[in-house]
Amino acid sequence: MQLVIDGVSKRYSGGNWALKGFTLALKPGVLGLLGPNGAGKTTLMSILATITRATEGRVTWNGIDVASHPDELRAVLGFLPQDFGVYPNLNAVEFLEYLAAVKGLEAATSRRRIDELLNLVNLADVRKRPLGGYSGGMKQRVGIAQALLNDPQLLIVDEPTAGLDPEERVRFRNLLSDLSGERIVILSTHIVSDVEATATDIALIAQGTLVAHDSPEELLRRVEGKVWEWVLPSAELNNAKQKYLISNTSRRSDGVHARVLADAPPDGAQPVTPNLEDAYLFCLSHHRAGAAA
Amino acid sequence: MNHARVLYHMVRADFLERVRRYSFLLTLAFAAYLAWGAATGRVVLRLDEYRGVFNSAWVGSMMTVVGTMFISLVGFYIVKNAILRDEQTRVGRILASTPMSRLFYTLAKTLSNFAVLTLMIAVLAATALFMQFTHAEDTHYHLGTLLAPFLWVGMPAMAVTAAVAVLFETLPVLRGGVGNVIYFFVWISALAVSDKKGIDDYAGFFVIAHSMQAALKKVDSAYNNNGFALSIGDSALVTKRFVWTGVDWTAAIIWHRMLWVLIALAIAGAASLFFHRFDPARAWSLRRKKAPGAANMNRDTLTAAGPNVEGRPSVGRLTPMVSEARESRFWQLVVSELRLMLQGQRWWWYVVALGLLIASVASPTLDARSGVIAVAWLWPTLVWSQMGARESRHATESLIFSSAGTLNRQLPAVWVAGFMVAALTGGGYALRLLTSADWHGLFAWFAGALFIPSLALGLGTLSGTSKPFEAIYTVWWYLGPLNHAPGFDFVGSVPATSRALFCLVLSGVLMTAAYFGRRARMAYV
Repeated sequence: MQLVIDGVSKRYSGGNWALKGFTLALKPGVLGLLGPNGAGKTTLMSILATITRATEGRVTWNGIDVASHPDELRAVLGFLPQDFGVYPNLNAVEFLEYLAAVKGLEAATSRRRIDELLNLVNLADVRKRPLGGYSGGMKQRVGIAQALLNDPQLLIVDEPTAGLDPEERVRFRNLLSDLSGERIVILSTHIVSDVEATATDIALIAQGTLVAHDSPEELLRRVEGKVWEWVLPSAELNNAKQKYLISNTSRRSDGVHARVLADAPPDGAQPVTPNLEDAYLFCLSHHRAGAAA
Repeated sequence: MNHARVLYHMVRADFLERVRRYSFLLTLAFAAYLAWGAATGRVVLRLDEYRGVFNSAWVGSMMTVVGTMFISLVGFYIVKNAILRDEQTRVGRILASTPMSRLFYTLAKTLSNFAVLTLMIAVLAATALFMQFTHAEDTHYHLGTLLAPFLWVGMPAMAVTAAVAVLFETLPVLRGGVGNVIYFFVWISALAVSDKKGIDDYAGFFVIAHSMQAALKKVDSAYNNNGFALSIGDSALVTKRFVWTGVDWTAAIIWHRMLWVLIALAIAGAASLFFHRFDPARAWSLRRKKAPGAANMNRDTLTAAGPNVEGRPSVGRLTPMVSEARESRFWQLVVSELRLMLQGQRWWWYVVALGLLIASVASPTLDARSGVIAVAWLWPTLVWSQMGARESRHATESLIFSSAGTLNRQLPAVWVAGFMVAALTGGGYALRLLTSADWHGLFAWFAGALFIPSLALGLGTLSGTSKPFEAIYTVWWYLGPLNHAPGFDFVGSVPATSRALFCLVLSGVLMTAAYFGRRARMAYV
């Protein structure tokens, strides 16, 4: 099982490149696709989900060109788009039954699976209520259920935790962890903690290009010895921000505790254990510096 | 707060958002097509066998009548999405959180609609001048005379159309497809009543007609004051010309026309009473009163009822899916599509459909059956109008288009489901034809049953909305099945006007258009 993205670019009308020469090979596991707003994550997801055509490059699924044979991939694809709608007059069961029919799934088995999926996403109690009355988070959970309808080998989820409350977010993270195994899961988000909890691999994307692709451990290694906690008077915080890359601040009785990313520590700063957010910001700032140069 | 400034910016933003969409080009193209039809003699304003010499007064008035006639109908469907767009773009909720009053909002939307419609009228006005120049029957150009009918007749009519569109959008029953169908009958009734009574109508035709008729009467005493017609493709009927110097725009006439502007403002005001101010709970409960409580459902309901994180079921225990033999599931998909089409219909919808079915079997005469089948095939208009447009309307394209075989399975399944609706609702009539061995009639019925879902799917897929089908089908139905105009009668109940073969060919063209339209929306096929 392999998904290969080979030099994929996408140019929108007006000449704006959303992706440029993006290359990545994926094997079973959970890939966390991280990037700032407008980095090209959703465009890449749409191309992989056969919704959008790439301007250049190609995507292959187990060696088969997706552009020539999209149904080869669609048959094993589960896709949760960032923005999607539902039919307001249908209830969750009817909506999922409809999508199961569209996906060509066998009726009796899909009915059983729909019941189980609604249990899984915690919608069993409202399964007979029209979707038009669902909250945003509930609709998102219906979206998660539909993405799992066909037991996909490739699961693409774009900003899946948007609109979910903390409890549901934890449920979804656990669900993604359970799903990893003999399938490829691509989790696109800008919420680092979602990726931290589930990803076996992380790809960082910025300005349409791949900035880094590594395991979380390897990314963390990149910032080892470069993260510092610096306590400074709040009046000096603005100056410090001009000088250093600060990933986090918190105000305490002894001043502002700033988390600084730098090769050399500011005066009086203490080394701290890096987290994935530090690694993400570090890689992005290096990429931006390189692009500017 | 400077109210004028707020109003100006609301109208401006809405207007710019509209004119910067590609669909606006189609709007202008329609106006240009109308203008071209009039300028080249395909659409003629005639008084029996007379028409006026193409001077400034005549071309201005003729273009005004053409524009007002068609734009007050088509323009309504074009602009009846001002509030819907704010809902879809979610800008409405932002607006609702501002101090903006409901009256301001509906007034702004009316003015924005009016601006769009006026732009269409302006295209016709420009063409009128061009028409006078190219025909050169009178080379004296009087810009004021040419533009006066646009100003005093066309603009008030557009104001009313703009306001009615907003009113329809705010009324729960009329904001959807029902309103699209009903407007056609309102429009045609308004014109018919004014024609019969000879009164000043909102379209203002009789201001112009009376003036022209009076002028012609002076030229030809045999003229009986009745003929005033906008003819399409009947230019050969015009054999004589007379000189008409225009309407004498007296204060009384202008006051009458301005009354329609005031009426338009009153309609906009009335619309504000029904405007839901983007309250989702209210909007939802208006749409679906039968599901009380659904709108107020929130996560608290779930938190109380749902299991906690630790007690969750496991992915590992899900039933494995059988993914082979996808093609064999076609009929399962057809049933799903049919269910989806009929979902949400109330019980009385089925009662009426059943009543029409029984009536079409039981009607003793052909005339009665012909009338019943016409109504039976109007009744499911809103069921068919979802075809091809549903995915776009409900933003499920990404879910559907990323599934295998969407183009070759789902699209035909939608069409078959639409055909089944036609066959079921018109089945009683077909049964009578079958029992009386009327094979020609049965063939015509079959062609009609193929034509309706093809038209719906073709227009829905190409436009992404249900509105074109609702508008075009209603007009088509009025001309064909109801009035048996040749070439339009897809029911085929009157052999003389039946065009079964034409229907079949057109169905083929529409289905092909639907296929390629859908194909163009998909990245990979």
